Amino acid sequence: MQASVGYLLEALTPFHVLLALGGVIAGTVVGSLPGLTATMAVAVLVPITFTMEPAAALILMGAIYTGAIYGGAYAAILLNTPGTPSAIATTFDGYPMAKRGDGDLAITLACLASVCGGLVGALFLLSLAPPLANVALAFGPVEYFWLAILGLTLIAALSQGNLLKGLVGACFGLLLSCVGVAEISADVRLTFGSQNLLGGIEVVSALIGLYCIPVLIDLVATPDRHLKVDQDVSRGFRLTEALRISWRGKFNLARSSVIGTLVGILPGAGGSIAGLVAYSEARRVARDNSRFGKGAPEGVQATESANNATVGGGFIPTLVLGIPGTPPDAVILGALLIQGVKTGPNLFTEQGSIVYVFIWGLLIATVLMLPTGLLIGRYAYRSIVAVPKAMLVPTVAFMTLIGTYAIRNSVSDVVIMILLGAIGWLLGRFGFSASPIVLGLILGSIAEQGFVQGWTIGAATENLTGQFFGRPIAIGILLFILVSLFSPLLMRRLRPRAGVPGGN
Amino acid sequence: MATEGRRDTGGMVVAAIFIFVGGLAVWDSLDYTDADSFVFPRTIAAAMIVFSLALIGWNLARPVAPEPAAPGSTPRRVGLVVAMLAVALSMPYTGFLIAGLGAFAAITALAMYDPWTRGRLLLYPLVGAAIVFGFYVLFTKVLLVPLPVGRFFQG
Repeated sequence: MQASVGYLLEALTPFHVLLALGGVIAGTVVGSLPGLTATMAVAVLVPITFTMEPAAALILMGAIYTGAIYGGAYAAILLNTPGTPSAIATTFDGYPMAKRGDGDLAITLACLASVCGGLVGALFLLSLAPPLANVALAFGPVEYFWLAILGLTLIAALSQGNLLKGLVGACFGLLLSCVGVAEISADVRLTFGSQNLLGGIEVVSALIGLYCIPVLIDLVATPDRHLKVDQDVSRGFRLTEALRISWRGKFNLARSSVIGTLVGILPGAGGSIAGLVAYSEARRVARDNSRFGKGAPEGVQATESANNATVGGGFIPTLVLGIPGTPPDAVILGALLIQGVKTGPNLFTEQGSIVYVFIWGLLIATVLMLPTGLLIGRYAYRSIVAVPKAMLVPTVAFMTLIGTYAIRNSVSDVVIMILLGAIGWLLGRFGFSASPIVLGLILGSIAEQGFVQGWTIGAATENLTGQFFGRPIAIGILLFILVSLFSPLLMRRLRPRAGVPGGN
Repeated sequence: MATEGRRDTGGMVVAAIFIFVGGLAVWDSLDYTDADSFVFPRTIAAAMIVFSLALIGWNLARPVAPEPAAPGSTPRRVGLVVAMLAVALSMPYTGFLIAGLGAFAAITALAMYDPWTRGRLLLYPLVGAAIVFGFYVLFTKVLLVPLPVGRFFQG
């Protein structure tokens, strides 16, 4: 206890607090720009940390990371473009809220939810890191494959209107993830002779194209305002209203934060799955789930609390096992190795002073996210609303161009991004949502790796069925998949018999 | 929302295109040398074909309302995509800065619905140039991203 207070006091030194504040601000700004992900924010700023003490370096990187995950919500809410892949599900209800004039409320709700999720994740990291890390070890390749498929079926089931269209889109995304040189065998796949496709389709540029370009295409086509402007422009942060909604949705926040932490500890799963699982759960248990997808505050709360909880959750396998939970964790792990910090089960006992000061620092950074997030969010909202469309559209288009190019310094990526955007717009016209395609692309490598390894083991042991359908965790995930696929259908069938009115 | 006599023809056409894409993926996978390379894409392509066929069958059995037509100007939509593609393709020759300025100007013109007053004629190009230069400096000097200089300007 005494040691814990000592670590807290060390984390509260002006230098550490300043690092946490600066990191959160820098992360939020970078995360809000489409194309600049949390991974990039951490990677770009890592060299600054090389001259610092390990604890200070970790605090700065953790603060940047948590700020960037929250920053992704701005573009998701105001432009329907997830600033980071973690914010994909934030677009579902955040953008409809912004369109009807509640963008400021959505941003404040996102900030409160992010702080809540971040705190829960960091508290889990503080108290339960070693036992939770063992959970990650229980996941084999087949479990990862089914987890990726669960993510895809969740998003397909959430696709407005048609489950089959969602599933087709998810398969298309998975196929897109195969384009380029295969990781294991080096076979060139699905390039059809094009040199530009050899490097594969970059996930973030595809995400920018599929989400952002359709919005730009529609913005440019009509003289309507991009967001509805409410008559009362001086209504502040709408903090009281947001706090009231957050209090009403406290169970949603708590559940989503725990989901985010648990998904975060699974290496590679990341904030995009966490957000989707939490969103799907929030929608499933909601009394009136017909509001979801049309601007339900609970949707924003669920995804934003879950994706920020993955920060603390992702640090659990990173620090305890030396296996990065999320891509930014991989960058942070590299920086720690350079600093001579040896991650592993003994880290908490041998170098407790570094780890615990960092975890307290992460908690402080998360708390600091509240005032900074509210301030930056309000500025972002007012700017986006006030900017004339003739300036907003070219600015966002220019940001997509430069952001996409910067990922791999590739003109091909920019061209692919624009073409995918045009295809995404066309598919959207026929009811095929972009989200399953993007998630298929994101989860493709995890799914393929798990599938191929499971297939190889199953074929070698002549027990393919047992390998894919006989392991306890795999069966559990499979049951979730079946529930997510068939529960809406079942509910629709049961509703008229049960005499529940208003079933749609 | 089922509507009698109306089918989601567009959705069915897209599903047919996806069947073709799935077939193309299976055909491409015939050339892969390693089972590790083809087992996944082939399985996914097969699943995509099955789902697409099911979608077509579902639409034939139970007609559903097609998506409403998109309101707005199609030439402006096409113009935006063409302008962005032109910028991307010209970038290696003109350099990022000139291509970016061109993109900004073209897209501003496409997104402009208000009358071009003297103030706007003066202000918008200035703001546009400031944004393009600002991002250019941020990416090249701070983030150290080597944006294309342009073959026309290289010795």
